[in-house]
Amino acid sequence: MAASDSSSDDSLYPIAVLIDELKNEDVQLRLNSIKKLSTIALALGVDRTRSELIPFLTETIYDEDEVLLALAEQLGNFTPLVGGPDHVHCLLPPLESLATVEETVVRDKAVDSLRAISGQHSPSDLEEHFVPLVQRLASGDWFTSRTSACGLFSVCYQRVSPAVKADLRNHFRNLCQDDTPMVRRAAASKLGEFAKVVEVEYLKSDLIPMFVNLAQDEQDSVRLLAVEACVSIATLLQQDDVEQLVMPTLRQCSGDTSWRVRYMVADKFTELQKAVGPEITKSDLVPAFQSLLKDTEAEVRAAAAHKVRDFCQNLDSYQQETIIMTQILPFVKELVADPNQHVKSALASVIMGLSPILGKHNTIEHLLPLFLSQLKDECPEVRLNIISNLDCVNEVIGIQQLSQSLLPAIVELAEDSKWRVRLAIIEYMPLLAGQLGVEFFDEKLNLLCMTWLVDHVYAIREAATLNLKKLVEKFGPDWAQNTVIPKVLAMSRDQNYLHRMTCLFCINVLAEACGSEITAKLMLPTVLTMAGDNVANVRFNVAKTLQKIGPVLEPNCIQTQVKPVLDKLNVDSDVDVKYFASEAIAGIAG
Amino acid sequence: MSSHRLFGIFGEDVPSSEQEGLFIRKLRQCCVAFDFMDPVADLKGKEIKRATLNELVDYITAGRGVLTEPVYPEIIRMISANLFRTLPPSDFDPEEDDPTLEASWPHLQLVYEFFLRFLESSDFQTTIGKKVIDQKFVLQLLDLFDSEDPRERHFLKTVLHRIYGKFPGLRAFIRKQINNIFLRFVYETEHFNGVAELLEILASIISGFSLPLKSEHKQFLLKVLLPLHKVKCLSLYHAQLTYCVLQFLEKDATLTETVVKGLLKFWPKTCSQKEVMFLREIGELLDVIEPSQFAKIQEPLFKQISRCVSSPHFQVACCALYLWSNEYIMSLTEENSHVIMPIMFPALYRISRGHWNQTIVALVYNVLETFMEMNGKLFDELTAKAERQNV
Repeated sequence: MAASDSSSDDSLYPIAVLIDELKNEDVQLRLNSIKKLSTIALALGVDRTRSELIPFLTETIYDEDEVLLALAEQLGNFTPLVGGPDHVHCLLPPLESLATVEETVVRDKAVDSLRAISGQHSPSDLEEHFVPLVQRLASGDWFTSRTSACGLFSVCYQRVSPAVKADLRNHFRNLCQDDTPMVRRAAASKLGEFAKVVEVEYLKSDLIPMFVNLAQDEQDSVRLLAVEACVSIATLLQQDDVEQLVMPTLRQCSGDTSWRVRYMVADKFTELQKAVGPEITKSDLVPAFQSLLKDTEAEVRAAAAHKVRDFCQNLDSYQQETIIMTQILPFVKELVADPNQHVKSALASVIMGLSPILGKHNTIEHLLPLFLSQLKDECPEVRLNIISNLDCVNEVIGIQQLSQSLLPAIVELAEDSKWRVRLAIIEYMPLLAGQLGVEFFDEKLNLLCMTWLVDHVYAIREAATLNLKKLVEKFGPDWAQNTVIPKVLAMSRDQNYLHRMTCLFCINVLAEACGSEITAKLMLPTVLTMAGDNVANVRFNVAKTLQKIGPVLEPNCIQTQVKPVLDKLNVDSDVDVKYFASEAIAGIAG
Repeated sequence: MSSHRLFGIFGEDVPSSEQEGLFIRKLRQCCVAFDFMDPVADLKGKEIKRATLNELVDYITAGRGVLTEPVYPEIIRMISANLFRTLPPSDFDPEEDDPTLEASWPHLQLVYEFFLRFLESSDFQTTIGKKVIDQKFVLQLLDLFDSEDPRERHFLKTVLHRIYGKFPGLRAFIRKQINNIFLRFVYETEHFNGVAELLEILASIISGFSLPLKSEHKQFLLKVLLPLHKVKCLSLYHAQLTYCVLQFLEKDATLTETVVKGLLKFWPKTCSQKEVMFLREIGELLDVIEPSQFAKIQEPLFKQISRCVSSPHFQVACCALYLWSNEYIMSLTEENSHVIMPIMFPALYRISRGHWNQTIVALVYNVLETFMEMNGKLFDELTAKAERQNV
């Protein structure tokens, strides 16, 4: 772009347009012009963007949060438009003021953009421009700027001089001890990422004390965030240091008076396990896990229960089985009879995963009774969670052991009065069928699948139809021909028109799986017969079905059998039937 | 019948010299917690504690000279042991659900009663009290305002009010902590059950502010009270919030512009229920506004009101139009008709020509009629202009 000296009108034009648009009453128009900011910057060129556009944005934007949010986002991508990394620091003033805005989403976006452009600053630019910004924000009057500051330390620390680093650490310490809990929370949530960039000696001397303080904060909302930081910090230290510097605090947190903190420990347990290593896991985390599994608060027990499989899996293989059998399993057994259904449900979703770890003998003797007990639980979710995880057990001991109890459990779920429970069990049916084998299925489960096709609830009928398709894909077209198709076709003569329609929906999905011959020989005649049904809905669905199965049929068959029927439907008395018939005719032709 | 002696565990008489020791022993007894989640557990123990607490309430109410210095820390200890607890997890939606009440209320209620009588006792000495009722204690008390049980919050409200009154040294701290609670509520969680109760306390605090208002207080209005209007569950505390705002304006009318600008900034965009609340608040505000302040905010305000009148939601439109049923607002409109009528006219004209709701049409006609009477010349001009634009 030629930056010639054009007349003053031309050179002011883009900014003048922007100013005008930004005064518009309609916030949507203001928003649109901010979103086109890059276009304006391009028109101005890098020099004038730096000298006019950016100052204008810094000084005169006081607007609705929506507009400010768009602006914060735009500025994050503005580096090329101001002339590249050498000039990126001129984006800092507008972003600094956006980072102090009350509305959380705006200042979060401003912080994101600042983080994004920090990497484009040279170390000297960082020290000259970026770090002072961080310092100003960290000393701001109102908590919003101090909160924003917390997110900016880790991105500039590594490339500045030692003296500046010391200053940054000091500021961060002040934020960790801030009067306002909001700021302390922000600092605690950023402590982990800051720890990752700080040198190990300063991690130990400066950051660990901050961590310990935050973990003892008077507000539990701060303490629980320290638990998250714990994972990052432990990962960065040697074992001895972890034992000395981190574990005392972690032990405190797992016995904290506030359930929220204990919950956080339970939630992060597998990450903690990885971070502290196998030795400390054995000495400290196993007892901690036991107390979490027995916690007085159900939410904490449930969070711990979720972690049972992963925790056990990640135990050091030396003594793994002993530890699980003697120290974890007794507590797990108690949870099977927990008064709270969420706890039981959480356990049920993972308990089967212990089977591969403990092996066949232990599974049969110790785990099987637990599975069977949960299969009979009064809460349907518990039963469902067991059923959905059968594959791990199948690998170890084979399904047969379970199948006696399995069947009544499946049937009960399949007939549950709540349709969502029925829906969930249908979704597991193809998996179960595959694991239990075609004979078991035919004997016991086939009837169930057909019953679902005529359920009162449409979502169930729909899922049942899809289920059929998957079963056919699993067991093959011959099986379909012998067991499924006759029953599906029988529905075409049902008195209830909804069932007759379901028959057509089944044919829709079965055609492709069964292939051209079976479709033409067995299913097509029924479809064609239903073209004379006295309910219009059935008739137009015939048209739709013919269109759907068209690709599976031979062209000759289409010409001689399908087209005449469609032509007849095309002049039907019902307008919808005519519409779908004409659609089908066009679809088949094309 | 209140007693001013404590009796021993077998109901025996205990000499006056030993009453203090007995008092302390009974307080310590009441520090033991009972499990109310299990309704049949330890019924005898629960009953003994209940009776003891009752006895203590009577003792402290009618007794004279019972509040000796050694009992203060014991009292606080008993209260802390019973009240201070992490509230259980809850997915309580205050707008939809019924609250889960405190299972241990039979004991808790008596502890609160006791606490109040303690604070309100004529024997209560602030100089001794402030050693045990410190910032840490108050902070834990404030956390309890998130209790789901409205009875508990009611007690807490009174307790905190007394503490605020009796301990000037704690006032700034209490105000700051309430700020923190509100700010967290607005910007982080949008969940806190005690906002209404805290606002009630604040209303009386605000009414006690001396003039000129300190900048700390003005900042509270701008940065805490106004943003409280943003939250989704505003309906739970809007009445108390409005009252606080109006108290501020009563103290310093020059804050009107700030308040109106703040409300306009946070004006609801999609929630009609909230819009109606905002309009009611504007109505109450205008009812007491000074004419000089009115002139400052009329333009942006009536632009918003014009949008409200045009709302397809009839309640919003209705509420906006009802503003002119207020005589004072009517007179202000008349005084400033040259500004307000051009802003309102296009919307009113449009609606008068057709709206799905007949009540709205009728209300609009009424308003237009009053406009015509106020300033016939301008009315005709605006009508002509509107008709030209329509053609």
